[in-house]
Amino acid sequence: MKKIALNINGEEYVVDINEDMRLIDLLRDKLHFTGTKEGCGEGECGACTVIMDGETVNSCMVLAFQAEGREIITIEGVGNGEALHPIQKAFLEEGAVQCGFCIPGMVLSAKALLDKKPAPTRNEIREGISGNLCRCTGYNKIVDAIDKASKYLKEEGETK
Amino acid sequence: MKLETVGKNIIRVDGLAKVTGKATYPQDLYMDNMLYGKTLRSTKPHANIKVDTKKAEKIPGVIKILTYRDVPYNHHGVLFKDHEVFCAKKVRSIGDPIAFVVATCEKTATKALEEIEVEYEELEAVFDPIKAMDEKAPKVHDKSNIIYKYQLRRGDIEEGFKQCDVIVEEEYKTSMVDHAFLQPEAGIAYLENDTVVVCVSTQYPHFDQLEIAEALKIPLDKVKVINPAVGGAFGGREDITMQIHLALATRLIGRPVKAIYTRQESFVAHSKRHPMIMRYKTGANRAGRLIAMEATIVGDTGAYASWAINILRKSGVHATGPYEIPNVKVDSYAVYTNNPFAGAMRGFGATQVPIAHEQQMDILAERLNIDPIRFRLENCFKKGSTTATGQILEESIPLERTIKEVEKQMKKSVVGGV
Amino acid sequence: MEINEVFKPSKVEEAIKLLDHYQETSKIIAGGTDLIISLREGKESASVIIDISSIKELKEITKREDWIEIGAGVTFTKVVNATMLQEKYKGLIDAAASVGSPQIRNAATVGGNICNASPAADFIPPLLALEAVLVIAGSNGIREIKLNDFITDKGKVALSKNELLVKVKFKELKRNQGLGFNKLGLRKALAISRICTSVYLEISEDSKCRDMRIANGSLGRHGLREKVVENYFKGKPLTSETIEIGSQLLEEEVNNRLQGRSSAEFKREAVKGVFTVALNKAIENSRL
Repeated sequence: MKKIALNINGEEYVVDINEDMRLIDLLRDKLHFTGTKEGCGEGECGACTVIMDGETVNSCMVLAFQAEGREIITIEGVGNGEALHPIQKAFLEEGAVQCGFCIPGMVLSAKALLDKKPAPTRNEIREGISGNLCRCTGYNKIVDAIDKASKYLKEEGETK
Repeated sequence: MKLETVGKNIIRVDGLAKVTGKATYPQDLYMDNMLYGKTLRSTKPHANIKVDTKKAEKIPGVIKILTYRDVPYNHHGVLFKDHEVFCAKKVRSIGDPIAFVVATCEKTATKALEEIEVEYEELEAVFDPIKAMDEKAPKVHDKSNIIYKYQLRRGDIEEGFKQCDVIVEEEYKTSMVDHAFLQPEAGIAYLENDTVVVCVSTQYPHFDQLEIAEALKIPLDKVKVINPAVGGAFGGREDITMQIHLALATRLIGRPVKAIYTRQESFVAHSKRHPMIMRYKTGANRAGRLIAMEATIVGDTGAYASWAINILRKSGVHATGPYEIPNVKVDSYAVYTNNPFAGAMRGFGATQVPIAHEQQMDILAERLNIDPIRFRLENCFKKGSTTATGQILEESIPLERTIKEVEKQMKKSVVGGV
Repeated sequence: MEINEVFKPSKVEEAIKLLDHYQETSKIIAGGTDLIISLREGKESASVIIDISSIKELKEITKREDWIEIGAGVTFTKVVNATMLQEKYKGLIDAAASVGSPQIRNAATVGGNICNASPAADFIPPLLALEAVLVIAGSNGIREIKLNDFITDKGKVALSKNELLVKVKFKELKRNQGLGFNKLGLRKALAISRICTSVYLEISEDSKCRDMRIANGSLGRHGLREKVVENYFKGKPLTSETIEIGSQLLEEEVNNRLQGRSSAEFKREAVKGVFTVALNKAIENSRL
């Protein structure tokens, strides 16, 4: 057992971890941030994507102790309380959600992309979500949604 | 009449929960006093087995190891009861469940799997469905490997081929496909008084309830199946995987039991799309009319029937494709082999046959020196057409329009034309 | 074997001390994109894990005299975005950008790619073509070794249990020198390369090939140079004719090497196209 401190969705956590625990195990089994999904356990599907210090990682490929002192954003930390993040709103409106299992990871990949590149081309969007598999939609509606989210974010920026 | 929803964009009812990560899939459930289950699966495609769990049972943290001895009625299956809950004497494919370890944590359960001793006495296996049809082939179950034959006859096939100017004979094969739904199988079972509750992602909750009740030999109203969010299925969750294991474990132990398959286990635990071997003989006259078609379709259902009968029937029914052919002979077979079992997957047998009938159309068009689109338009189903099964198509058949629209779009795209 | 202890040193010396103490029982983790899978599958075991991803000095890309140095802990995302590598080192950036997916590039490191020495490692061919040199730290100090000598077999490298790869360095490219990269995978993202090729090229004033170094991945037990083809090109003009002959030579080399493998028939044909594209990119990049 080992004690580590890390920041998840803006809050500080001090938790006991097992040395062989992965970040996904810490998030799900220990802290019950169950929005982070495990689809393959080997970095192929991206369902376990979280943002760590501003960059997306597969939380199944990070050992929990490596996250010591890091800032993690999970799907639970996207949006503001009851209000949806523009990406989530666009996913809903565009019908980009079917079974939903890929969605937390997709939303986080989209967020990491739009945080760095607010107005991506459709190709850049495809590249941005190329580490996330979806077996239902065929991706087009997800790309539409991220495109729409980028416009929402632009409008939001203009009104501020 | 004013329509309130038809034709409008409606936000799906579970969408909000899914975009916020709050939707609950079975792996997201945690209960007090919960145990973890892991399945021991066969590593051999065909073998007699002897299982010894004594050593594994002694590992601290192992609560119980279930085998066939614990199952009141050791059979299940959607059409035939040819699956065993746990293999008793023989395994029929790699991945067949042999035992289910219930332990206080996942790590202990995994460790216990390695300590279960399975003695395999390997038997000759059969992987080629054509060979499996031979009477002398190894028997996957104690009967013929051919479990179904569908026959379709229309007109006079011999006379039909005599009238053809061009006949094309080819064989086509399709491969095994996995659904690879993104959420691996997961479930949790617990007791509510004397009712067994199984919470699992499934496509068939009411039938799961029946199969659990049958296997446990308890009344149907003592089994409750809850289907929370399902992370994709595409046909791959129509057969039982962990449902009975979980129900039995919680009933015998009295504590909640949870199981999550890894992706690797998911691949061996659920069905596949039937690989098919399709021999086609199709003939047309010089005017470009299809006259006769003969097809033999063999579907490899692996070690278990699942929906093979319905699927190979569907392949047979759809064998002509959407074309009117006056003389038709189709035989389709479902055959057991020692391969992973095949079952439902999007299209349900109608997806494989176009690989054959459309290539036949292209080859015929080329031999007849007719444009492949004209050839299809000439023969495709229209209002009033009669299918090979004798159905007269009386209502909307927009195929002609669709083909023409595709042609238009193809001509528009300059690059590649694909 | 269970993991009993984990460490997160912040200095190379600390990491070396830990390695020296725990020897075979320990494993280095950086991005973790390979190690965690092999640990969980039981392909590798370690009771001690040493995470070097917090060591700052391993995460720098610098220029020292006429050498470019890339720290072993630099992620592929960082390579792709490195100001120092833009344009002139497009071959290197292309290789980094072809690794895995955004998530994997954010975690996986240059050092990890080298030390795992997978036959399909995307970043090894361009480094081989650049005749890269590795800087390795150990309890006895620092040593240097050519990448070509470092990789001894599939997954095997000349690194002692108490040593740490610190950085990889190569000579700065001049105006008439260029590096090209091309990869053939089954899909665009998350594809393990079927073939990846990198070409270093130096063009003389009379537009002939003064020097060429070709390195391939996924065409042998590890990334390797194609000396026969390199020698053919030296001193020759780069015309469609010589490129055609050169790629045929490469086809023969690959065919001989892959004898008996089911992929030989496909790869010997495909390598010609992959190489030609990489070479043309090298020509293009040599003009920058």
